[in-house]
Amino acid sequence: MVRFAIDIGGTFTDVVAQTAEGMSSVKVLTSPSSPEVAALDGVERLLTRISKTHADISHVVHGTTLATNALIERRGAKTGFITTAGFRDVLAMRYEKRFEQYALDIALPEPLVARPLRLGLAERVLADGTVALAPSDAEIDAVAGELRRQSVEAVAIGFLHSYKNPDHEHYVAARLQRLLGNDVTICLSSDVAGEIREYERFSTVCANAYVRPLMSRYVGKLQTQLQGKGFNGSFLMMLSDGALTTVDQATRFPIRLVEGGPAGGVALAAHIAREVGSDKTLSLDIGGTTAKICFIENGTPKTSRRFEVARAWRDVKGSGLPVKVPTVELVEIGAGGGSIAAIDGLGRLKVGPKSAGAEPGPAAYGQGGDEATITDAHLAVGNIDADGFAGGIIELEPHRAPKAIARHVQKPLGLDAVEPAAAGIIELADETMANAARVHGVELGLDISGFDLLVSGGGGGLHGARIADKLGIRRIIVPQNAGVGSAVGFLHSPVAFESALSVVQPLSELDAEALAKRIAAAQTYVKSIVADVVAEDQIETVIKAELRYQGQGLDLTLPLRTGEAAEFGGLSERFEDRYRALIGFTLDNIAVELVSVSVTARQMRDEANATYRPVDGSSAPSARRNIYDITARGSLSYNVVAREGLNGQTYHGPVVIPEAQTTTLVRPGWSVTKSDHGHLVMERDAS
Amino acid sequence: MSGELDIVARNVLWNRLISVCEEQANALMRAAFGAIVREAGDLSAGVFNADGDMLAQAVTGTPGHVNTMAASVRAMLQFIPPDQLSPGDALVTNDPWLGAGHVFDFVVVTPVFVDGKIVGYLASTSHIVDVGGRGWSAEAASVFEEGVTIPVMRLRRGAQLNEDLLDIVATNSRVPHEARGDILSLLTCNDTGVSRLGKLMTEYALDDLSSVSKFIFDSSAQGTKSALARAPNGRYESKLLLDGYDAPIELSAAMTVSDGQIDVDLSGSSEAVRRGINCPLNYSAAYAAFGIRALLTPDIPNNQASLDAIRVTAPPGLVVSAERPSPVTARHVIGQALPDLMLGCLEQALPGEVLAESSGALWTMSLSGTGKVPFTSLNVALGGMGARPGMDGLSTTAFPSGVGAVPVEVAEVAAPLIYHSKEFAPDTGGAGAYRGGLGQRIEIGARAHETLSLSAAAFERLTTGPAGRQGGHDGAAGRVTITDGTEITDKGIYDIPAGERLILQTPGGGGFGIPADRDRDVVARDLSDGLISTEAATSLYAFKPNGRTTT
Repeated sequence: MVRFAIDIGGTFTDVVAQTAEGMSSVKVLTSPSSPEVAALDGVERLLTRISKTHADISHVVHGTTLATNALIERRGAKTGFITTAGFRDVLAMRYEKRFEQYALDIALPEPLVARPLRLGLAERVLADGTVALAPSDAEIDAVAGELRRQSVEAVAIGFLHSYKNPDHEHYVAARLQRLLGNDVTICLSSDVAGEIREYERFSTVCANAYVRPLMSRYVGKLQTQLQGKGFNGSFLMMLSDGALTTVDQATRFPIRLVEGGPAGGVALAAHIAREVGSDKTLSLDIGGTTAKICFIENGTPKTSRRFEVARAWRDVKGSGLPVKVPTVELVEIGAGGGSIAAIDGLGRLKVGPKSAGAEPGPAAYGQGGDEATITDAHLAVGNIDADGFAGGIIELEPHRAPKAIARHVQKPLGLDAVEPAAAGIIELADETMANAARVHGVELGLDISGFDLLVSGGGGGLHGARIADKLGIRRIIVPQNAGVGSAVGFLHSPVAFESALSVVQPLSELDAEALAKRIAAAQTYVKSIVADVVAEDQIETVIKAELRYQGQGLDLTLPLRTGEAAEFGGLSERFEDRYRALIGFTLDNIAVELVSVSVTARQMRDEANATYRPVDGSSAPSARRNIYDITARGSLSYNVVAREGLNGQTYHGPVVIPEAQTTTLVRPGWSVTKSDHGHLVMERDAS
Repeated sequence: MSGELDIVARNVLWNRLISVCEEQANALMRAAFGAIVREAGDLSAGVFNADGDMLAQAVTGTPGHVNTMAASVRAMLQFIPPDQLSPGDALVTNDPWLGAGHVFDFVVVTPVFVDGKIVGYLASTSHIVDVGGRGWSAEAASVFEEGVTIPVMRLRRGAQLNEDLLDIVATNSRVPHEARGDILSLLTCNDTGVSRLGKLMTEYALDDLSSVSKFIFDSSAQGTKSALARAPNGRYESKLLLDGYDAPIELSAAMTVSDGQIDVDLSGSSEAVRRGINCPLNYSAAYAAFGIRALLTPDIPNNQASLDAIRVTAPPGLVVSAERPSPVTARHVIGQALPDLMLGCLEQALPGEVLAESSGALWTMSLSGTGKVPFTSLNVALGGMGARPGMDGLSTTAFPSGVGAVPVEVAEVAAPLIYHSKEFAPDTGGAGAYRGGLGQRIEIGARAHETLSLSAAAFERLTTGPAGRQGGHDGAAGRVTITDGTEITDKGIYDIPAGERLILQTPGGGGFGIPADRDRDVVARDLSDGLISTEAATSLYAFKPNGRTTT
């Protein structure tokens, strides 16, 4: 049995094969005009290497940023939008607020559907789901004529309150489909994101329709061509929430694929967390331009149903298109290896979010970059060795690093040596990442000091210990080399599908029987999707209720066992207990409102949770290196130890573990061992 | 401590203080009642040093809260001085002249003790849905009719919550439980901040915040001074005419720029009026400073030093400096016009660099049902923002306020109303090389057959539209009518009879630059999008469908 994972990113396509013997991988350049070409090529190459054929492949798991790229580059289908008459500008009005208070030059993204293609249709469903006005066939026919005249390829339908009563959307869709033929894709807002708040729901359905023709064609081609070569296993796609789904569902809801790549990275982190027996994990992936954080509890990443694609203004939150799909809850921070350090107009040291990227990159790359970056700072304090940087792919010119730092940071700050300036850059980056984690933790109501920190990416091992110090975290996990992390993560993801039901009713007025029926129907629906590829007895369902005090914005999520009517009786008390634990008091006499219920069917996880166990063996430190330390305010002598040399032995910091893709700093006060899966585990010494 | 590391530590601390406020504000935003408050982020959170000077503030929040709170802490400490405070104590007030300009806004201030000594304060402000009186309208003749005012007092003494005070507020409120919840949330979010600040001081072994204060203030003062110096020294005057409650109000400013210090004198403005659109000076100053800072110092964080560079004065008793007991509920009608007044001055200092006038005050839409099930629905109807040098104005987007609209679906779930339409209003954006943002047309009726009561307190700019700049035309004035033929002309209370509808058309933003200079492709696009009429395209933009300019 051979399982393949294919991750198509903007630049690289990663292909990973997993056999009984282990994993192997290949990295090829993405072929943007027809992405399946590079993917098929990668698969072919890897098959040759492991001496297998397409027929030997039992599963292909695929994740891609193609949908996201199509939205960013506006390469999607010509799309029409049918909405309740009088509301065609909802897409352009957005939230009707500025996302930056003090910036007078903000720009908003163009709606995916231009105004002449946004067509109003007289119909109206009221807030309680009752019909005030039914759509007329004559008007639908006229709309169809207009859509045909403008030769649209895709149609999104979004009516007011369709989350409550989708009948009009269904009716109009059926008639339009007959009139327009099957070549035109039709998507309904109640299907794609059946939740209250018209702008977000309409935005989601338009984005879905916009990318659907492209994604269907592409996925279809990839699957057909694989099959043409003899592949006859199952083909699954990676969703934004870290779950896998069938091609059928993926091409119906391609908007759910947007964060598939990053979700794969988080899925791998979750897998490693399970391997080392960490049940509360803060995943921190520090890459070249940004860092991403995600909270993982009991091996399951936190997800939300809010995401934003294609930011239009300086990558600022709020400037993109909202999509309401289940997504791993990643917070992106503008601090990565290429982030630029400089002194601003106020004389403050600032690090990021501006990045030197890969071109020209840090000053030490010697590609004409002159700015001081975080990578330059690591070189200047001695954290990383210029030899063998990034596995030897990049030849560094290390002398350029201190020069850039001296010019842009040390001198403007009036410091008398370059090392403290470099250490200051790193300290500020650590602070930025720690603050983001702390603020996000407060948002989720989590006590961050009880979490383990799982660091990945090129910079993870360098920053982990200091960030953990700042957050009061006592254990850090540095996974073994994971250069193709997302694709590997795909292989560790369960098949799952989630559906959300908007309720928005006080618990006291709830028709529990009716709701239980809706939940049961949703369960059947999501299960049927998963059952396409997973045996019935391997499917579990997870039901979650989102509650709040009526009128308040603080939604709390509580798991439901069965979703049956009886279970809603005790929900109010459970909510208040949770609220009290989080906020410190409860609000008497205010109705508790059930906002929504989400139902997920999921392939059960094979509980192969390894407990942490050290391995025997030993080896002596091989060398020493001087590293400038921010808290010691001077140089410390670090032991240089190879990861392989850690077998079974516990080392106490200061220790530095250099590797091809990353370097791990075990700061004073920390010790390190290697887990039996090869991951580094650092623990804070008792103090 | 070696001096060289101090600079890094101070930088780190400054960042951390801002982060403390962010956490505080996030906690508060989630806990707020009232859709409008939550959508808007109508709140603020800040950390202050032992002298009561603001060190840092959350970036969320509307200018009206953000900039008034800077002064609130010191003002409140004059009533209950620091030497009378003990650990656990927290102060509260909703006095419009100490807080954020009307009784709806509560400010809570919590001292931070280290070793028995006050090292700083956490403060937060948010809008409470209802505190009694006449509720949301401009009808009160004095502040005494606008709800219950809480003088500066302890919300908590040590560990003991002041339940008496909470009872008084709750008893006076139409939504007692929410009011209580919102006030407690202010207390809790400050407590979060207090504990964060304590940990930070332990981590850095700080006895006080004086060193970091000095760093923040010195850097900000220097940075603000050089940024403000972009405006040449001089005296610039500007005037603005508003509809007023039922008679026009003039706002007048004389701005003196001298070497990076800006003094604004509002003394030529109209006298305070007898209805609740008057503005206390603290709120006027907050918005005036916002207008200046958004144009000249957008990147400099809010703190005592960056705000000190701008001084706003007015003799007492004007509409911009109303005194107790003038009614002030809809004080934003005046306050939110001040940025345009300031930008009018700065246009003379920096011609061609200043955006055109925007719609100004948020149109607060307060509709109450008078039928069997009483209800009140609060939403906003937003007009266009002024065109910017090089960019069109944003359509249906508030400026200077940061408040957004409540989604139609949410508004209809919350109250038995039907929004019949909500669409851009063509030709409302002032013509220009860069077009003013469009206003919108909203049509609303009751769901049941009942009479609705409307407060028109904030429907401003019904007579004159926002002015264009550099040859740009004015945006369209707003218009509000009822389908029974009533035209709304003042800020009073109106009935919408059963079966009738309210039709609002919000103002459009002013245009920037000469319309004939507008890119032909963009004019063609506006035309095909239906954002301008054929009539406007030919007469205002000299546009011919073949793309050539008429002569």
